[in-house]
Amino acid sequence: MATEPKKIIIDTDPGIDDAMAIFVALESPEVEVIGLTTIYGNVYTTLATRNALHLLDIAGRTDIPVAEGSHVTITKGTKLRIADFVHGTDGLGNQNFPAPNGKPIEQNAADFLVQQASLYPGKITVVALGPLTNIALAIQSDPDFVKNIGQIVVLGGAFSVNGNVNPAAEANIFGDPDAADIVFTSGADVLAVGINVTHQVVLTDFDRDELAKSNGKYAKYLDKILGVYFGYHHEAYSTKGVYLHDPTALLAAVDPSLITYTEGVVRVQTNGITRGLTLFYNKQKRFGEVTEWSDKPSVKVAVTVDAPRVLKLVMERLINS
Amino acid sequence: MSICDGDLVDSNNSFAKQREKIIIDTDPGIDDSMTILMAFQTPEVEIIGLTTIFGNVTTKDATRNALLLCEAAGYPDVPVAEGSPEPLKGGEPRVADFVHGSDGLGNLFLPSPNSKKIDKSASEFLVEKVSEYPGEVSILALGPLTNLALAVKRDSTFASKVKRVVVLGGSFFALGNVNPAAEANIYGDPEAADVVFTSGANIDVVGINITTQVKLKDADLEELKQSKGKYAKFVCDMCKFYRDWHVKSDGVYGIFLHDPVSFAALVRPELFTFKKGVVRVETQGICVGHTLMDQGLKKWNTSNPWTDYSPVSVAWTVDVDEVLDYIKNTLMKP
Repeated sequence: MATEPKKIIIDTDPGIDDAMAIFVALESPEVEVIGLTTIYGNVYTTLATRNALHLLDIAGRTDIPVAEGSHVTITKGTKLRIADFVHGTDGLGNQNFPAPNGKPIEQNAADFLVQQASLYPGKITVVALGPLTNIALAIQSDPDFVKNIGQIVVLGGAFSVNGNVNPAAEANIFGDPDAADIVFTSGADVLAVGINVTHQVVLTDFDRDELAKSNGKYAKYLDKILGVYFGYHHEAYSTKGVYLHDPTALLAAVDPSLITYTEGVVRVQTNGITRGLTLFYNKQKRFGEVTEWSDKPSVKVAVTVDAPRVLKLVMERLINS
Repeated sequence: MSICDGDLVDSNNSFAKQREKIIIDTDPGIDDSMTILMAFQTPEVEIIGLTTIFGNVTTKDATRNALLLCEAAGYPDVPVAEGSPEPLKGGEPRVADFVHGSDGLGNLFLPSPNSKKIDKSASEFLVEKVSEYPGEVSILALGPLTNLALAVKRDSTFASKVKRVVVLGGSFFALGNVNPAAEANIYGDPEAADVVFTSGANIDVVGINITTQVKLKDADLEELKQSKGKYAKFVCDMCKFYRDWHVKSDGVYGIFLHDPVSFAALVRPELFTFKKGVVRVETQGICVGHTLMDQGLKKWNTSNPWTDYSPVSVAWTVDVDEVLDYIKNTLMKP
């Protein structure tokens, strides 16, 4: 590529598919990972930080800073939903990895995001793979953040389909609906990649064997930790494969031509039985009355994905590592 | 997910034996009026009563219009029971007079009816008829579901005794029509809708994701006007106001056939496919009135607000051409 690599910060709750996304990012010449920020979701924030540092140890990339994120929701909620039944109690497939060598930087995640965005205005893409608390905190702490940040690619939401936490809500949005609503209505350039899209990208048992047989450093590592993730998918969805949520969102940031999107207003329901529901309005139909969607900025919402190409890129980059 | 073919066989068999007893719960309303007139032209059904509700108009005006329609159709003896003037939680109901005209009938301002409503309330009437003919009465619910919820609350056996409830309401995995989250009938009384959907009754729900596929376009309206249909002129006069609103709101040169499509789902269910799933209604927040169905694609590892309720049948696809033909043919019957 003639242009310089796109700077990305991955906001992450590793997480098995987070680990995969981080490795794919490190193997993607199109992007430069300038930092990881951590958040609760698949694990608690403390463990997310530990796992982020551990993954950078594995990659030999301890030069990349890790900034620890919020331990509570944007409304200071402490009752968090942690998906340890999907990723294992350690978040990485119950492998009892040794403690990482590195430490997180002093700055917290929101401050790091704000600082980097103002250092490189319009140049940074945040790939948000967990609940959106850190991003919302960055928006609240610096009024210039939404214009300084290049793009925020959000893995989250379930657009016109059932959720994965319950019929209404997808896990990342459910994790902090208030934060998600702040991000979606902030006016920043946001691209939401929901499970309606990521459910089309499936890594099968066969693909996993290919990873195991290869000499790829990351491929072999991932094969070890994927067991728990496969087990969960088999039980919950009766599928012989796993959804590549995080790698799909990451690759949408790396190569936007992998997806198509539509534009409109997204609001998040923050209470009631459908708490965490993402509701998209395409601005086509005119309503008789002013609605909660009126006069809100538009975001991009992924509609289709070139699933075979995403899978191929993931496989190639992990196997050639 | 199964298509509710069991249901389909039952209703076909009952056609052969006797006319299906139906009660139409309605807020006439232009498309309600079309539907009521269609039902009077349909030999397979016997309208044993109308119950009224707010929505397109106030409940009081809905009662007046229901009486007017029965008279106009030549059935002044069909009982009309007035329903609740307000939603379950109380307060002024939302009335869509900007869609149907201030009189609910496209501003035709017809003279008052001679006949009178019965003394019983809508929910009393519903409970009474369903108990009198257990397993035989179907209800076509064309407005907010307050009266049906009151019937469910009044009699714990109501849900098991009603043969079938066909609900026009909700928007499944699609935009609403009051706002992006909510469809008008459900938005009119979300609490009532949630009571009805979780009541365990045999329910078919037809959302606007289905009904907006079936349009009576300007050319169809013209064809209707030229026809010998018994009520064709009246319907066309009434539709002018409704049609102009559709142009403004949706850029549609014609009208959506929400209520007539739901009637078609009652008498011609074979023209639809259905999916079964638990449906809940949001009663709070910005998505109040949103209908959300669990499609059953995932095994949930913890209980959630959808678990442990009986599924309902949600209309999933519609044979647009056949349903449009059916509606046009019925409206053009001399």
